[in-house]
Amino acid sequence: MASPENIVVIRDLTKRYSQGEIEVTALDRVSLEIATGEFLALMGPSGSGKSTLLHIIAGVDRPTSGECHVQGVDVARLNESQLADWRNQNIGFIFQTFNLIPVLTAAENVELPLLLTQLNRSQRRKQVAAALDLVGLSDRSHHLPRQLSGGQEQRVAIARALVTDPALIVADEPTGNLDSHSAQDVLTALQSLRRDAGKTIIMVTHDPKAAAFGTRQIHLEKGELS
Amino acid sequence: MTIPTFILKNALRNKRRAILSISSVAASLFLLVTLQVALRELTLPPESAGAELRVAVRNRISLTNPLPVRQRSLIEKIPGVAAITPFTWFGGKYKNEGGMTFAQFAIDPKALGTVFAEAKMDMTGYQTFVAKKDSCVIGKITADKYGLKVGDRFSLDSTVYPGSLTFEVAGIYSGTPDDRNMLFRQDYLDDSIGMPGYVGMWWLKVTSPEAMPGVIATVEKTFANSSAEVKAESERAFQLGFISMLGNIRMLVASISTVVVFTLVLVAASTMSMSIRERFRELAVLKALGFRRRELFAFILAESFGLSAAGAVLGIGTAYVLYTYGNISQMTHGILISFEVTPRIIGFAALVAALLGIISAIAPAVAVTRMSVVQGLKTLD
Repeated sequence: MASPENIVVIRDLTKRYSQGEIEVTALDRVSLEIATGEFLALMGPSGSGKSTLLHIIAGVDRPTSGECHVQGVDVARLNESQLADWRNQNIGFIFQTFNLIPVLTAAENVELPLLLTQLNRSQRRKQVAAALDLVGLSDRSHHLPRQLSGGQEQRVAIARALVTDPALIVADEPTGNLDSHSAQDVLTALQSLRRDAGKTIIMVTHDPKAAAFGTRQIHLEKGELS
Repeated sequence: MTIPTFILKNALRNKRRAILSISSVAASLFLLVTLQVALRELTLPPESAGAELRVAVRNRISLTNPLPVRQRSLIEKIPGVAAITPFTWFGGKYKNEGGMTFAQFAIDPKALGTVFAEAKMDMTGYQTFVAKKDSCVIGKITADKYGLKVGDRFSLDSTVYPGSLTFEVAGIYSGTPDDRNMLFRQDYLDDSIGMPGYVGMWWLKVTSPEAMPGVIATVEKTFANSSAEVKAESERAFQLGFISMLGNIRMLVASISTVVVFTLVLVAASTMSMSIRERFRELAVLKALGFRRRELFAFILAESFGLSAAGAVLGIGTAYVLYTYGNISQMTHGILISFEVTPRIIGFAALVAALLGIISAIAPAVAVTRMSVVQGLKTLD
């Protein structure tokens, strides 16, 4: 089980899936502990299982065997509905391709996860404004994603990830679609989230320069930690 | 932002597609309402106030076979018969118009005060009709359409009898469900170019609704095994029998309506599937953010339902306004008098729209709820 200092505790985690008639082992008896407030860079080549590990920790995929405790909850034991609630309250997602809803403004995109909470409209607006302020985009709140640069879009995605005040933020190649300047901005923003807001961040990346922003780096190779 | 705003923004994200979808639903429902109203008008003709006391007597072989005049005196003696009039189809063409423009029937002029008493006309006109052999009375719709006034003279070329007849307008009647017919005197037809001794059919007025079954049975029995056997029936039965001669209209309209609805379902389902397919990744992201399956299902259903509802309001609303406030007689050149969009038809079309919204959402909604977040993110990555 998780000790108070560890937000994520993984024991003998295995994930297999079928690709036609071939069974692929994406993760092979992985064990890992991630401390609260850590900025973990998860590295490895394509197909090494790093995104699969991230998805299982975030509760969007299920392991074939093993345990994955996040904040003391074994996510594999939750049903679909419980998992959805749990993700909304505990996980902030940042994707490589930003994944903002194109017909919603920056503020509305950030507000999306709050629609599932009990907050009223003015409380939601307040939290959205605070999140956008934190990523330095208060003046872009009414802009549509297409009116923003890639770096700005990713910062909106970061604001969306932290608007519900989750303990854990998972980022899958957050700088993969950005130029070096924008990537630097995003990584700095993530770093300050850990440092100033005490968030735990798990980031999947190919890029050693991006990984250098983390407090710890781990490598996955053919589904095993190396 | 609220959930309804979010759904609305999604539904209108591709405005051209949304407009086309709404338009296709609207056009189809407009057509459906039109077909249903047409079916109702054709199969349920309006009843006049005197219908419950009228009996139609026609040749048992066919409506086109005439009946001998001698039957009249026998029918008049039957208990329960209050009045009788011949009713003979003339089939005249007005001026140079291509086809038959309004129906003309030869009757006993006194029938206007007895058998067809609901036809309202001023007394002078009635007296002229009774007194003058070549006079006629015309329904208000036809009189208005052709600008005919009391005292006007005109000729009709018959498509049934040889030659033509000239008439003088004695009066203009109204108050019947179908104020289009022209009525003139049977004796004028007999004396001019008709077949003296024969009439097209008889219309009777009975003394009470209770007397009707007895009158019908007695009339049929009186002429059984004669050279002109008759079929007697209530006005309602006669109208329905007349309509059935047009063929199985109900089946025809039902078939067209089914095709319309089926095509509409295919179009709507295809549109919704395309629309959702394009947003698979976004929906996966919503799932990742904590939206549950049932919420995504509700979003898709609401979006589909909303588009159908908008189309329904437009299509049914247009039909209602057009057929309620438009001059249907003018639009159809007098073929149809009324074209009533009843609450039942509106309800039926609304139900079709609601089912359309639900059915077209089912396949994409099920696909989205079954989709895992990982699978959804990979779909378009």
